Amino acid sequence: MTPLVETHELTRRYGTNLALDHLNLAIPEGAIFGFIGPNGAGKTTTMRILTTLLLPTSGEAHIAGVSVTREPRAVRRLVGFMPDFFGVYDNMKSWEYLDFFGRSYGIPAQRRQQLIGELLELVDLGHKRDEPVMSLSRGMKQRLSLARAMMHDPHLLILDEPASGLDPRARIELRELLKELRAMGKTIMISSHILTELAEMCTHIGIIERGKLLAAGEVQEILRTMRPHRIVEIRVVSGAARAEEMLRTHPDVLELRREGARIETSESAEAPLDDETGPHTLLADFAGDEHALSDVLAMLITEGVRISHFAEQSGDLEDIFLHVTKGIV
Amino acid sequence: MLELNPILVKDLRSRMRGARAYILLTIYLLILAGVALLLYAAIARDTGNDLNAGRRIGQALFFTIATVALIEVCLITPVLTSGSIAGEKERQTYDLLVASLLTPWQIVWGKLVSAMAFALLLILAIVPVMSLAFLFGGIGLTEVLIAIIGLLVTAILYATIGLFWSALLQSSLGATSFAIGTVIALLLGIPFLIVIVTLILGSSAPSSLLDSIWFIYLSRCVIALHPFIALGATASQLSSGGSAFFEIVRTSTTNVVVPSPWLLYTTFALIAVALLLAASVRLIQPVQSGIERKKRTGQES
Repeated sequence: MTPLVETHELTRRYGTNLALDHLNLAIPEGAIFGFIGPNGAGKTTTMRILTTLLLPTSGEAHIAGVSVTREPRAVRRLVGFMPDFFGVYDNMKSWEYLDFFGRSYGIPAQRRQQLIGELLELVDLGHKRDEPVMSLSRGMKQRLSLARAMMHDPHLLILDEPASGLDPRARIELRELLKELRAMGKTIMISSHILTELAEMCTHIGIIERGKLLAAGEVQEILRTMRPHRIVEIRVVSGAARAEEMLRTHPDVLELRREGARIETSESAEAPLDDETGPHTLLADFAGDEHALSDVLAMLITEGVRISHFAEQSGDLEDIFLHVTKGIV
Repeated sequence: MLELNPILVKDLRSRMRGARAYILLTIYLLILAGVALLLYAAIARDTGNDLNAGRRIGQALFFTIATVALIEVCLITPVLTSGSIAGEKERQTYDLLVASLLTPWQIVWGKLVSAMAFALLLILAIVPVMSLAFLFGGIGLTEVLIAIIGLLVTAILYATIGLFWSALLQSSLGATSFAIGTVIALLLGIPFLIVIVTLILGSSAPSSLLDSIWFIYLSRCVIALHPFIALGATASQLSSGGSAFFEIVRTSTTNVVVPSPWLLYTTFALIAVALLLAASVRLIQPVQSGIERKKRTGQES
């Protein structure tokens, strides 16, 4: 995929404070890019530069090959921006809110009317067309804000913390909406603190801290490469004590833990596992490769250990985030 | 099809929806009508069977209503605009406007015109009250036209003052305070300056100074900075049979022709409007300010 967004050595200073430090970022076209980082890491600064609201101190950023500093007006046609707050106008109905921004983007009157109806349906607010914006719930306002950002049919949607303050239902609705937008071919850049949600919906992620990009790429690739070791979950039906003994002495097993309430409550960690109280689940931090892992499985079966489940645990974005960042702002 | 400025449409929708606009208009007209009625009652009682009573009542009504309208325009128009751009910042909609395809000029122009549309409504609303003066006579079309032009120019100038502070500051309260402060400083500061200079010069000022052309022009220019003094001086000039467009100042050696105060005031006001609008547009340029652009160009080269 060709990058839709590219930044080259993007730097922004606020006085002596370095908010962005030579950021080099590439977001492929059609991706949902999750931008992750602690507060003050530089996410919003990057987004504001990409939306032409802020000028970088040095460096350059391009959207679809258009420079954000040299051709800001052309960039504004390509980008739909949803900030982390919802600006409300008094005495304005939902359709009027969209109509105003449609006018602001120079959309002709006839097309605008049609578009307002379509977008309100897309964000499931068709029934709220004539309701005052002030009377909408926070989730509805966020969806209306997303419809606003879509008014001029941008290539790129930049969403700054869109899920903050939303209840679980509104979050799920927003997530589904974003998936729908991706299916429509939109590229989406989204920042959020809810990492599990980002892992579910994003195709790519970038982790930023103190203005520096620590990691970026496809989610699965990041999970695979950034994790220090793999965790293997083994459910033993019988021969648990033997399995535990073998795994403890295996050179590729860094650490072995028992999982399950039954073990914790009825047996001490030092006592051998009793099959009568099983089945037991063992978690092994494994440093070896795929071949070494298959050897372990074969060895356990050869030794008569009966296994009902042997699988690598799926990666956790939170682990990666904690591993990569230092928690410094 | 040519579309109206989006800001203008939005602001007019918001401003005219609900009772606020009508309440303001009603209070404004009630004050004007009340003053006209009281004035009529006071003058009619004094005049008795005087044949010129109608003329006197007509003139008094016209000038009083024009003065009250001018006071109201001076106070209302800066308030209408001072919350306009600062209000967008407070509502956190400013970034959305700036990130759209609206140019800073469109934003400033839309805000000014929407405020001016309401100010124009206030000015037009006084026409029926002002026309009462015509029933009594004593007022010509020239006076009426100059009064309307003076009101319009004042409304634009004071609205632009409010707009400038609104573009500069982050809060509506701050912008309104500074806008009203500027209006008060202009309306009270200029007369104060005139009084002080008159006191300093007193009767000891040499006639060579008072008769010099630059002093005559300078003094007329200072007078023309104040709407009440400029329009009042023009009214006085017209009632004494002078021209509506120029004034002849007689000195001991020569006659100096000076533009009429209302013309000078209109010229100065329009220059100030242009400067304030340019400053406001500059203030709401999102990031691409000339200084920063130059710096970047310098760095790159």
